[in-house]
Amino acid sequence: MTNRNNSKVASSLPEILLVEDLRKSYGPRPALHNLSFSLRAGRVMGFLGPNGAGKTTAIRILTTILEPDSGYFFVDGISSEYPEKIREKIGVLPESLGFPKQMTGHEFLSHFGELYGLAQNEAKSYAMELLEEVGLQQRGKSLIGTYSRGMRQRLGIARALINDPVVVFLDEPTLGLDPHGQQELLALVRRVAEERNAGVVLCSHLLPEIEGICDDVVILNSGQIVAAGSVVDVIGRVQRNIILNNGFRIQVPPPLVIEARRLLKDMPEIIEATSQGEADGWIRVELMNTSIGSSSHDSQINNKILKALINAKITILNFETEGGRLQDVFLRLTEETIE
Amino acid sequence: MNEKRVMNHRNIRTSRSRRPAWLVLLMWELKELWIGGKALILIILFSVLLGIMAWLLATNSELNLIPPKEMVFLTLQAAIAVGLFISLIIGADSVSGERERATFEGLLLTPASRRQIILGKFLAAISPWPVAFAITFPYLIVLSQGDGTVVINSLLWGFLLGSILTLAYTGFAVLVSIGTNSNRTSLFVSLAIYVICLLPTQFPGPAQAGFAGQFVKKINPMEATNQFLEKVIVNNRTPQEMALWLRAPVIFFVLAIFILFWYVGPRLSFDAGRIWMRRPSRSRTAVLSLAIGLMVVLATTPVMAVPARALDNETALNISIDITYKTIKTGDTVNFNTTVTNSGTEESPPMFVAMNIINLAKDGDPVDPEDWSPERTQAIESLAANQSDTQSWSIHAILDGDYMVYMVLVPEPDGAQSTSQPVVSSGIHITVTPFASLNPGGVLPLALGMPVGLTLLLFVLLWNRNRSINVGRSSSVV
Repeated sequence: MTNRNNSKVASSLPEILLVEDLRKSYGPRPALHNLSFSLRAGRVMGFLGPNGAGKTTAIRILTTILEPDSGYFFVDGISSEYPEKIREKIGVLPESLGFPKQMTGHEFLSHFGELYGLAQNEAKSYAMELLEEVGLQQRGKSLIGTYSRGMRQRLGIARALINDPVVVFLDEPTLGLDPHGQQELLALVRRVAEERNAGVVLCSHLLPEIEGICDDVVILNSGQIVAAGSVVDVIGRVQRNIILNNGFRIQVPPPLVIEARRLLKDMPEIIEATSQGEADGWIRVELMNTSIGSSSHDSQINNKILKALINAKITILNFETEGGRLQDVFLRLTEETIE
Repeated sequence: MNEKRVMNHRNIRTSRSRRPAWLVLLMWELKELWIGGKALILIILFSVLLGIMAWLLATNSELNLIPPKEMVFLTLQAAIAVGLFISLIIGADSVSGERERATFEGLLLTPASRRQIILGKFLAAISPWPVAFAITFPYLIVLSQGDGTVVINSLLWGFLLGSILTLAYTGFAVLVSIGTNSNRTSLFVSLAIYVICLLPTQFPGPAQAGFAGQFVKKINPMEATNQFLEKVIVNNRTPQEMALWLRAPVIFFVLAIFILFWYVGPRLSFDAGRIWMRRPSRSRTAVLSLAIGLMVVLATTPVMAVPARALDNETALNISIDITYKTIKTGDTVNFNTTVTNSGTEESPPMFVAMNIINLAKDGDPVDPEDWSPERTQAIESLAANQSDTQSWSIHAILDGDYMVYMVLVPEPDGAQSTSQPVVSSGIHITVTPFASLNPGGVLPLALGMPVGLTLLLFVLLWNRNRSINVGRSSSVV
């Protein structure tokens, strides 16, 4: 369905956003340090970070609303020295975008179409197509004031697509939507990347959902990139560190907890197996540090432990590696830097 | 989809029928303002105000003694003040309002240049002025009672100067709006400046006399415009004579537009604070400082020139009058004061002040003041150095015509074999018009018809608008 698992295909796509050493300070307070990353066509990049990490500043610089103190970026080969040309190539849905309530969705899109250089009739017909694409064709001639929050966000995405952009920036597009609305909107975002072959930079706090639709991820903390790459690579990298230094958790039937702990403690790869502070039936296993650190070696250790438990007729109800999800990675990385 | 994008981009590049960004923005803003927006409602209120004013002028037993020329001037003055006010508040809302409604970022994200954005918004903000003037014009025709010169003067000069003032004050309001994130602050600052400029026009005559009064009059664009219009429309002065009064509004207009489009416009940014934080280029700052300096010098030159000319004729004694012109009807009374000042270092001799009146319409024929005033001369005791004395006078207008009243101060000679140097005051230009009463029936249909017509237009526009949209809610999607 996506490009995320096909790194060969991904690397053959052109780089449509290239960011090099962006810096920005507000007075003495630095907001961004040496921000560098790239995005390829047709891929969705999650742009993550805790509040105040510099995400909005970065997005505003990349969308030419703010000027960086130093550094540069290219959009589809156009340098940041030409902001008006860059704006022709990008589509943006800012966080909390306001809408004119006394205008219809169709009028709103046609207006922006004209501002992007379309003739009046072209703008009107393209606005109709876009309303259909985002599922608002039935409400195109209704006043925006009567739209729900989700419909406004869809309209905002349609506005971001009016110039058929090469890169689309979406800042918290799911904010304030119910779970169903969030799901529909994220599916729309994925479709935009795939069908239009546009690169999408997606800022969101919905980490499980981001993990579901993003190919790449950039995690910011205190204005610096703490992790960047494909979602799979970033999770793998951090996960490995967490497992090797800490361990995993396993759930067995509560009566078998003591027996399982005894068995695990006897294994040479395990430092500690404890149920203290854990929910009923859960055991936290701390592994020895190894200098190898490859994912195949980790899998071998995991398999050996699980096999030993199965041989001892201990039923395994659940197995969870710490740091196995983007949310864990995010918390781990941002927590470490904060500490 | 890639093909679609390529095609779309090709269309953007080759589309010859596309409109420039400022025009797109202007049309959008006009639609927002005039169809169900605040502009039409404010214009309806304006027409109601104008109707009430015209009706009062026509029917009130005291007000309808005002000569038609003066009625035209008063109506024009109100039209400019209110039309300007409407444009000012729209201009003050233009950028800060968008910032507050969070719609500004979307606009800045388009490829439209910052200057084009400002141009579109500025033109939309001034759009109420021509409408307000068009509404006023029928009232001017009715109130002028067929005086073609008055109609032409009010049409030409009223529209020209009203436009200059509207452009200048709206430009200023847009500047304020660009410089603040809060709509309330923007409105407050713009209205404060408006009120500061408007208030002196309402001061009583004596408060407007003297150097300070003249200075304020000449540097205040609103008051200078009123002076020009009143003298040209009411007092039959030529525009060439009154050209000095045009400097303040023209300079204010040039400065406001220059700063808006050349200096601040290109620096328009998402956050108002950043405009002031961004360091402008040295050349830009130098040109701006030079321009402002030049404009200030030009604006103050005529003001400073007044005492300079006075110094040429400086004597130890001088006499001034607190009014310069007046338009009245036959039977009216004009009251005024003269002030004699000894600005020398020694005590003056006793003096006399004599009133003189000449008929300008009859080759300067002298008019016998005895018919016009209870006292033709007043005696003054000696004045110590830097001492002044004020005298009160009154004149009853007996016949219609165009008159000049001037006073002569005669110091008493030392003896039989000596003389003294009389000093002449500035004149009071008195225009006496025949008594006339305006037919109220001519104003009533206009006073009632205009607001009703505009309100009907508003309903038609809203009805037409509602036909083109789906008013109801739909339960579809998200």
